[in-house]
Amino acid sequence: MFGKVEKYPALTLVFVAAIFLVYGYATSLPKITDFMIFCIFVVAFDLLYGHMGQLSFGHMLYLGAGAYGCSMFAYHIHPDPFLSILAGLVVGALLAALLGLVVVKTSQAAFALLNLALNEVGAYLVLSPWHKWTGGEDGLSLFFSSYGFINFKDSAFRFYFCLGSLLLVVYLVLRLVRSPYGNLLRAIKENEVRVEFLGYNTYLYKYITFIISGTIAALAGALTSINLSYCNTSLIAPTRNVEVIFAALMGGAGSLIGAVLGGTAFMTISNYLAVYLIRWEMFLGFALLIFVFWIRKGIWGYVRKV
Amino acid sequence: MTNFVQSILFGLTIGGILYIISIGLSLTFGAMGIVNFAHGLIYAVGAYAVYTVATLLGAGFIAGALAALAVSIPLSYAIERFVIRKLYGQSIDYAIIATYAILLIGADSLKWIYGASPLPIIDPIGRLWTFGSLAMPVFRLVIIGLSVLIFFGLSLFFKKTLVGKIVVAGLQDREAVRSLGIRVERHFAIVFVLGSALAALGGVLYAPLSTLNPYMGFEILILCFAVVIVGGMGNLTGTAVAAYSLGLVHSLTAAYIASSAADAMVYVVMAAVLVFRPIEA
Repeated sequence: MFGKVEKYPALTLVFVAAIFLVYGYATSLPKITDFMIFCIFVVAFDLLYGHMGQLSFGHMLYLGAGAYGCSMFAYHIHPDPFLSILAGLVVGALLAALLGLVVVKTSQAAFALLNLALNEVGAYLVLSPWHKWTGGEDGLSLFFSSYGFINFKDSAFRFYFCLGSLLLVVYLVLRLVRSPYGNLLRAIKENEVRVEFLGYNTYLYKYITFIISGTIAALAGALTSINLSYCNTSLIAPTRNVEVIFAALMGGAGSLIGAVLGGTAFMTISNYLAVYLIRWEMFLGFALLIFVFWIRKGIWGYVRKV
Repeated sequence: MTNFVQSILFGLTIGGILYIISIGLSLTFGAMGIVNFAHGLIYAVGAYAVYTVATLLGAGFIAGALAALAVSIPLSYAIERFVIRKLYGQSIDYAIIATYAILLIGADSLKWIYGASPLPIIDPIGRLWTFGSLAMPVFRLVIIGLSVLIFFGLSLFFKKTLVGKIVVAGLQDREAVRSLGIRVERHFAIVFVLGSALAALGGVLYAPLSTLNPYMGFEILILCFAVVIVGGMGNLTGTAVAAYSLGLVHSLTAAYIASSAADAMVYVVMAAVLVFRPIEA
């Protein structure tokens, strides 16, 4: 039954929207807004990990680029929310395009570690040499202008705006991975050398995917800074990479619904369980081990068979 | 001039420690293709062991160092036996995630036991070597000397002993060695534990130069990955050269550019190496 859901794009979107509408109104809209933004980030990460087969250990860099691009635009130039989001996207895309030239050439362990190292450099730049513009450790507090009902101070509006963004991202990525391009990505994941022999420029495909993934991650960053109306170094912290990896693994890598489910499940655990669980990181560590050794297909891998 | 010499010596100290920690990482990486984040945990455990024995119990630094080895050897054997051995030959992502999970569990345990605030360890020698206007803690000179000794010791180990030779041969071609009827994995396990003991020693030596915190393993690890990548995975001499060079880059950046830029500069070197000499791991 569930397996059919992801066969039809419209059904997928309805499914995702239903999850968050029910969840949002059953608990609290601002909290679930956070969850949805994180899901966008997981989708971005999973495009690289689940679909292209490359584990990035530094995707927080692109989230941070989006967050800082957006907030610095709003803080220093103009507090228009849409222009700020656009600025975040542009910064994320440009950064991914620039670093991708180097990063995409590597694979496997080197890919993971290079991303981690670049994330460290990014976090350092934001914290130290650029602290006059980024606010350093204090971060930036943001105010966005509003136009009529387009008011980002209203939590219900933020909820629907982020829900719309998430659905848009899911739809676009769904179209992408269902296209011949997506097939090629999966082929690259299986055996890159063979795809190269077929005459495809695999580097180019991986590069484009990296930019797309970085841009989506930047969208998540921009939305985070708008939702929280501040931006600080926790949005670019390299140690937080484990969260998105765990979410992708928990939901089931290589599936969009899996990414959304994993993101939601992770945020639910970290928001509700972490309050009661003092040894939260230890719990996360053991859970990671369980997923690596016994539940590699993730939640969605099992549910879709039902 | 004094400043410059001092920076060079400080750089060699950091380089020596990086070498001691990285060698185990480099071997596991080169031999089994496993990125072992748990290595950082062993390093932190070494540092905390010396803190417990030397500072809390007051039994002296040497006793602390021995305690660090006594704790880290069984711990690293358990990690090898129950986690890493199960991941040989599988996608490298699972090894990264699983060993990171161990690092996370370990760091949280350390936080549980010792608290999150940074803990200092007093310099065990506590004397300065002065030469003109140059003042250098003797302990740092000991570290440099020790790292050089370990380098020669390991070179001998890999050239002269049977285990060492098997491991070096296994680094070149694991299948060929296995087809001779030698259980390569078992020999790698021995070297894995040896490398971990050295990581714990690195923690012991670094603790008096800095402060302890539960996440110290994660912080040093990225520097060590830079050493491994710059030096070439499983390349013993390369690791040493890379460690000392990156140590010098680190201390010269700290002295002449900004102390906060030192780590970032090391990563930039690592990125540059990956651009010009990409590795396939």
